[in-house]
Amino acid sequence: METYTIEQLAAKIKNNEIDLKQYYEELFEEVAIQQKRLNCMVTITREEAFKALEKESGSMLNKIPGVLKDNYSTKGILTTASSRMLEDYVPVYSAAVYESLEKANMALIGKASMDELAMGGTNKSALTGPVLNPWDTSRISGGSSGGSAACVASGLVPFAMGSDTGDSVRKPAGLCGVYGFKPTWGRISRYGIIPYASSLDAVGIFTRNVRDMAIVTRELAGRDNRDMTSSFNEVPDYLADLNPNLAKRTIAVLTTVSNEVRNEKIKANFEEMVAKFKELGAKVIEVTIDQELARAILPVYKIIANSEATSNHACLDGIKYGNRQPGESVDEIMINSRSNGFGDHIKRRFILGNLALATENQEKMFRQAQRVRRLIVQEMDEIFKNADVIIAPNSGQIAPKVAEASDDMLSDEYIILENYLALANFGGNPSLTMPVGMVDGMPIGLNITGRIFEEQTVLDVAYALEQVLDFKDRYKRED
Amino acid sequence: MNFEVVIGLEVHTELKTKSKMFSAAPVSFGEEVNTKVNIVDLGMTGAMPVLNKSGVEYALRVCHALNMDIDELVVFDRKNYYYSDLPKGFQITQDRRPIGRNGALEIEFDGQVEVVEIERLHMEEDTAKQFHFDDYSLIDYNRSGIPLIEIVTRPTIRSAAGAAAYLERLRQILLFTDVSDAKMEEGSMRCDVNVSIRPFGSQRFGTRCEIKNLNSISNVQKAIEYEVARQKKIILSGNQVTQNTMRFDEDLKQTVVMRAKGDAVDYKYYPEPNILPIRLDHAWVESIKANLPEMPDVLVKRYVNEYQIPKTDALILVQTKPVADFFNNTVKHTDQYKQVANWLLGEVAAYLNKSKLTIDQTRLTPVNLAALITLINEGTISSKQAKEVFTITIEEGQDPNVIIEERNMKQISSVEVLSGYINEILDGNPQSIEDYKNGKNRAVGFIVGQLMKATNGQANPAVANKLVVELLKARC
Repeated sequence: METYTIEQLAAKIKNNEIDLKQYYEELFEEVAIQQKRLNCMVTITREEAFKALEKESGSMLNKIPGVLKDNYSTKGILTTASSRMLEDYVPVYSAAVYESLEKANMALIGKASMDELAMGGTNKSALTGPVLNPWDTSRISGGSSGGSAACVASGLVPFAMGSDTGDSVRKPAGLCGVYGFKPTWGRISRYGIIPYASSLDAVGIFTRNVRDMAIVTRELAGRDNRDMTSSFNEVPDYLADLNPNLAKRTIAVLTTVSNEVRNEKIKANFEEMVAKFKELGAKVIEVTIDQELARAILPVYKIIANSEATSNHACLDGIKYGNRQPGESVDEIMINSRSNGFGDHIKRRFILGNLALATENQEKMFRQAQRVRRLIVQEMDEIFKNADVIIAPNSGQIAPKVAEASDDMLSDEYIILENYLALANFGGNPSLTMPVGMVDGMPIGLNITGRIFEEQTVLDVAYALEQVLDFKDRYKRED
Repeated sequence: MNFEVVIGLEVHTELKTKSKMFSAAPVSFGEEVNTKVNIVDLGMTGAMPVLNKSGVEYALRVCHALNMDIDELVVFDRKNYYYSDLPKGFQITQDRRPIGRNGALEIEFDGQVEVVEIERLHMEEDTAKQFHFDDYSLIDYNRSGIPLIEIVTRPTIRSAAGAAAYLERLRQILLFTDVSDAKMEEGSMRCDVNVSIRPFGSQRFGTRCEIKNLNSISNVQKAIEYEVARQKKIILSGNQVTQNTMRFDEDLKQTVVMRAKGDAVDYKYYPEPNILPIRLDHAWVESIKANLPEMPDVLVKRYVNEYQIPKTDALILVQTKPVADFFNNTVKHTDQYKQVANWLLGEVAAYLNKSKLTIDQTRLTPVNLAALITLINEGTISSKQAKEVFTITIEEGQDPNVIIEERNMKQISSVEVLSGYINEILDGNPQSIEDYKNGKNRAVGFIVGQLMKATNGQANPAVANKLVVELLKARC
């Protein structure tokens, strides 16, 4: 079947050049095939998609197929966050993002698999099992928004929603060869998304090109009174304002990260991208952040994220909803429900979070992590005084083999290179990863991070690079 | 050995804002269970808190009334613990930066004046209400998320009576700032007590016990008295008080151990990430102070100094805000301050007592009470008639002037008019004149009786008596 971008399909719908009923019939046949191959979905929502065909909206997303990560609350539709705790949970309300997309009359294809409760980078912890990479099914999709990434990378949908706490949209986007964008913290309402760590969580979007990214971002951005942290800042028309002219742009190469790359092909690719930016007329400078602070990113992230996660998930006690296990007392019901409902790696993270928050440790762990976070953000802000964006390779490796992928590695290469993307979560910055090459048959990505609320700059820089590369609109589908 | 008692109080009060502290669900009491809840109050995953500005305003009113230093940067924290009445698994509260600090409240009891130092006032949210049965429990989430303020004193209270006096005064403040109905028996005002004792002169505090969930001021007093006696007994027998959390058993009239200190939960307070610190507008904070109604202690001083009302009466007038408001509004329409006070403390209080109503639930208005007092003072109605008019106006809300007009209750005080009536009666009753001549004074009574009959009781009794005697004399 044909695979379209949002713009292409919207044009066809507008000009009545497509039989949508037939298109969606074929699409769901394809969804079934790819689901078998990639295991990317938790729930397929055929009925919802066909309902959208009966309605109209003035949005560019009218009748465009899309996918939500399974931590977006969808009223009346199973929302598991890939956790046993929520395996039968049907929310009574919808996330703000889903409401906006419903209003735009997007056709919901399904809910995508994820690492359990969005905690993880491999998507191996999903209740429904690992999600496989469309480019090589012996490899992981990455996580935690692995299902969403795979849906877009296999061409099923032109866009999918994810969530990004440390790199959970950008990392899988890079490993699957699609675009992953985390706008500024507060730019898009988090209301109704099953949280991981509120001060780091951001709505994230997957597409296969920059223009589609601008369309979806514009559709979702803006103030929501139900999320006090959402911004009142005006929302620009990201699509109309796209400007690939880099003549006045300064691009900072974060060598603290890029120097850690050991893979020669990835290293060469990155050097090539830096050269391209220069060719495009941008001023390129090299910047660093303090090595000690760079090595602190991972522990700071783990302490803050897991601390917030312990209380964010304290509501999952089996009392009001969720998978309840019997017990002799209320306490026992909670203990049994939580013991049964969460995977081991989740329990480990809860224990770590509780340890960091315990009164006797809090000052030297949680509060210390917050202070270091502030120092790191200050370093970033210093860089942004002289640069519009910071760039670095999205990862030092191609997607690992399913059997080998793990979150627990302690090499310097891993500690800095594979975890620096959390910088954008620390500062709340807009951050986009785009496909920039193929290494050993697998896609690799480049990350572009900008000043807060300067989504447009990030999109502009990506747009300029996209036009001198041949990696937009790529997908990989096999029967 | 003589002991000094050291008491600190923690009071939780539910605020009667329109909606909850962090959700748009309405705050209303006595509703059908689980009907005033939304996803925030139920702790549905993904729901987010939205701060209620009125909740902050109400807290500020009390801060101002207690003369507290106000932290204009509002910061919330999470208090983490698992309990079935806590749907989110944490409570949003203020730990490190309470909105108010360093307040003071003057209390008066046993003829002495003391100042209770208040350490802090902070905002938080209420938990759900649980109903426990033999083999199951039910939860009503209507209460979940209702705004609370917690007011914590320093350990500066030295007796059970002082604690009771403080609670009375604090309750008055909560009523006068109009933030809560502050009913301990219904749980809209709750009190936890920390009690310890130490030998007089000692600088170190003794081991304290906390008594939780007290449901009336008198129980607070009884619980403290019992607890102090218990601790004395322990120390005098050479043992040490263990730090426990107690409750007061009303039937046993004793404090009973709920849990030991070792069971204490680590609440792991940390900043609420979904509510960024909020900088309050200084002008707004000040305007709340400027618009604060007069507090009872100020009113009492004014009543005594400006209106010459006895202090004991003034204290009763300010016991509840509706009565104080009523008094303040009535004296705008009459300068007979003492009479207004007498009516409110006499007839009105008796009526309220009998009808079990509060003054604002009756149809009595300040204007009408003032009119009634004016009618009495002008001699338009007798005090006996006034009671009748009062009953009508408090039940039906009519203007006393209209009541007496419609019911012909106006006194006839005109000498001319009354003389006409009396002369007519004397003409028809020559025997009475004879009787009077013969020294029978009852003739006066008889003629006055006839006069009352003829005027439907409207004759002004004082004027009538005098006139009857005069006219009888004239005929002798």
